Amino acid sequence: MSTRWYPIYQRGNPQLRVFLPNFWMKLVRPRGTQLPNIVHFECSMEMTKHDIKNYLNKIYNIPVVEVRTKIFLGKFKRDIGKGYIVKDDDIKNAIVTLPKDMKFEYPDIFEKAKDETEEQEKALTEAKKSFQNYIDRNKNRSDVPSWFSI
Amino acid sequence: MYLNRVHRTFPKLKKVVTRLHSQVAIIEENEYTETPQYPPILDMSLEAKKLREREALHKKIQDINTVEEKQIALNMPRYYGWKCIMLHEDKVPYNALPLVQYYTRSHFVSIDKLPEVYNETGASAETISQEIKSQVEEAIAIENDGIDRNFTPSLESSSLKSEASLKEDAISKCIIRQINRIIFNNLTDKVPHILSSQVDYDARHEAFWFIGGVKPPASIRNFRKQFKWLHDKIEEPVDRPVQYIGTPMLTIRNRSPLKPLIPYSEAENPAFKVPIFHHLPRSVGYYDHHRHGTNIPGFWPGDYDEFGLMSYHGRGHILDRKESFGPEDNLEALHCQALKASFGWLLSQANYQGFTTFNDITYPLVTQTIITNGQYWSLYAYQLNTIVMHNDKFDSNPKHNICFGTNPLKLYDCIENGNVKGFNEEVLKMLIQFYLNAPEDREHEMKPYLGKEEQVVADIEDDNRRCWLESRYKHLVANRPKHLLIPETYLWEDIYKIKFKTRFFEAKRRPFELGINPFRRRLDEHLPPYIPKVLRPYPRSKKKFETTYYPKV
Repeated sequence: MSTRWYPIYQRGNPQLRVFLPNFWMKLVRPRGTQLPNIVHFECSMEMTKHDIKNYLNKIYNIPVVEVRTKIFLGKFKRDIGKGYIVKDDDIKNAIVTLPKDMKFEYPDIFEKAKDETEEQEKALTEAKKSFQNYIDRNKNRSDVPSWFSI
Repeated sequence: MYLNRVHRTFPKLKKVVTRLHSQVAIIEENEYTETPQYPPILDMSLEAKKLREREALHKKIQDINTVEEKQIALNMPRYYGWKCIMLHEDKVPYNALPLVQYYTRSHFVSIDKLPEVYNETGASAETISQEIKSQVEEAIAIENDGIDRNFTPSLESSSLKSEASLKEDAISKCIIRQINRIIFNNLTDKVPHILSSQVDYDARHEAFWFIGGVKPPASIRNFRKQFKWLHDKIEEPVDRPVQYIGTPMLTIRNRSPLKPLIPYSEAENPAFKVPIFHHLPRSVGYYDHHRHGTNIPGFWPGDYDEFGLMSYHGRGHILDRKESFGPEDNLEALHCQALKASFGWLLSQANYQGFTTFNDITYPLVTQTIITNGQYWSLYAYQLNTIVMHNDKFDSNPKHNICFGTNPLKLYDCIENGNVKGFNEEVLKMLIQFYLNAPEDREHEMKPYLGKEEQVVADIEDDNRRCWLESRYKHLVANRPKHLLIPETYLWEDIYKIKFKTRFFEAKRRPFELGINPFRRRLDEHLPPYIPKVLRPYPRSKKKFETTYYPKV
């Protein structure tokens, strides 16, 4: 289902078109902790519970037991420069219950990236340490250049 | 006392006037003891102080004399009521059994035969079931086939439940009444406790307790994040108030309680396991609602028949559950309903004995619960061993409640041409065994935490106090909406006054600007009714407001 109209064929139009519905779902990390058999999605505002169930079941073959939806209020911000207050769009959240023997864990996508940043930080702290050492060593001879030593 | 120089003129006056603000000097000179006596060493950390405060409150509630005052005392901290997790008897979401077991602290044992206590009555139940079998069959056939029912669900109820479930409940209610009548008529001259028991239709069952060990909701976590000294305690578990509401189709109660199913010492048996469920109840599908906590077992305090024997419940709500839940979860839903209903009823009975969610019961209570639609019968026997499970005790309390329950048993296969086919006598026999389970007077004290003279408000001598407490109690448990609107922060205020301070120049008058949380208001924080001048006692009275008799906790 979709809210878009399939364009009526007019003479001269291309005969075959790819028709994409405006329904989308995005897997998100749940707010707070959640039972292992419950998965949270953000989805397009037009989707109903039945749409969500069909979307997951028919396209991805996910056995869906129950769908609860909730519309979260968008965030309020102060517009930078203008000073007045603006609001983000509302978000529709779908809370999907899987059969109780199933488990879903939100994937850790940035596992490798985490290791890299850790290494970088390590190198940085070591460099800082050696520089601090150098300063401590030479704190009593502030005017002497670094190459002037035994 | 200095008497304004009058004492010089009337020297004897000094002897007559008592000296209020003076004391006798210590007569006993011996203020030293051989071994030094120190006051107890108390832990002065913030948590320990708060714990002592809470324990003092629990002691105060324990020391209150009457049942009604205890119930008001439980509600004293909240003027607008507690934000209760609502456990309705007939609303069971998917996969609710772990939550219900944890919230009622119940170990569930699935059985095919009734527990050992029922073995004595097996033979007599057999003969009785032979006697009444034909009557029961006839009653079922007539209620199902013989009556032309014109069932129109009321608009109010049909918005919440489907017509099929309302219809099933309506028919099963008729069948239950018939079967209860048949068994009662047969048993009255055979066993003594049946005639003295009371039967209630559509009783009002409500129970209120605190459950600890639940993860804090987002609001509490956000509050804790504000302060640095609370940062390591953001995830500490909190107390959640829980309210059970149910309407059994038929209940039977008696003056004496049923015998325990297992000895009370067994309650601490570590083999009885209860799953720990610390997720938010919302993640399962139980939501919260502001209301006063109420404990009502279907009658008002002061009734003599205050121990339940058995209660019948409908199972129409199973028809309203989604198909995707599957038959296995429907079976669990029945167990959930039985656990909630049995625990809720026994807890409210225990409250009428003077125990509360803060003062644990000193003896076990037992009830029998039947969930049926006329054809399928599930029988449950429940023993209540503990009711204290708030945040200070949830992991240190070794006791558990226990529930024995059967799967739904078929009483008959079908009804053909006005005759019942495939009648299962075993089920009827088990049902009769529930009736034959005789209550027994206990030898220990039943109401240790109630007063000797005053046990309910009706025992209070002082007319004003008695009438005030009675009407306040009834008004409280009625949970009628407030006369004035409940305070609210409007969305525009949230945006322009709380999130962004765009109106800082305006006078600060609203509660959130004055740092007041209206939902923390205590029950007695209100002006008592005004006494008009004409009604004040003659000749002159400065007393403008009527006295209130809230319990001092």
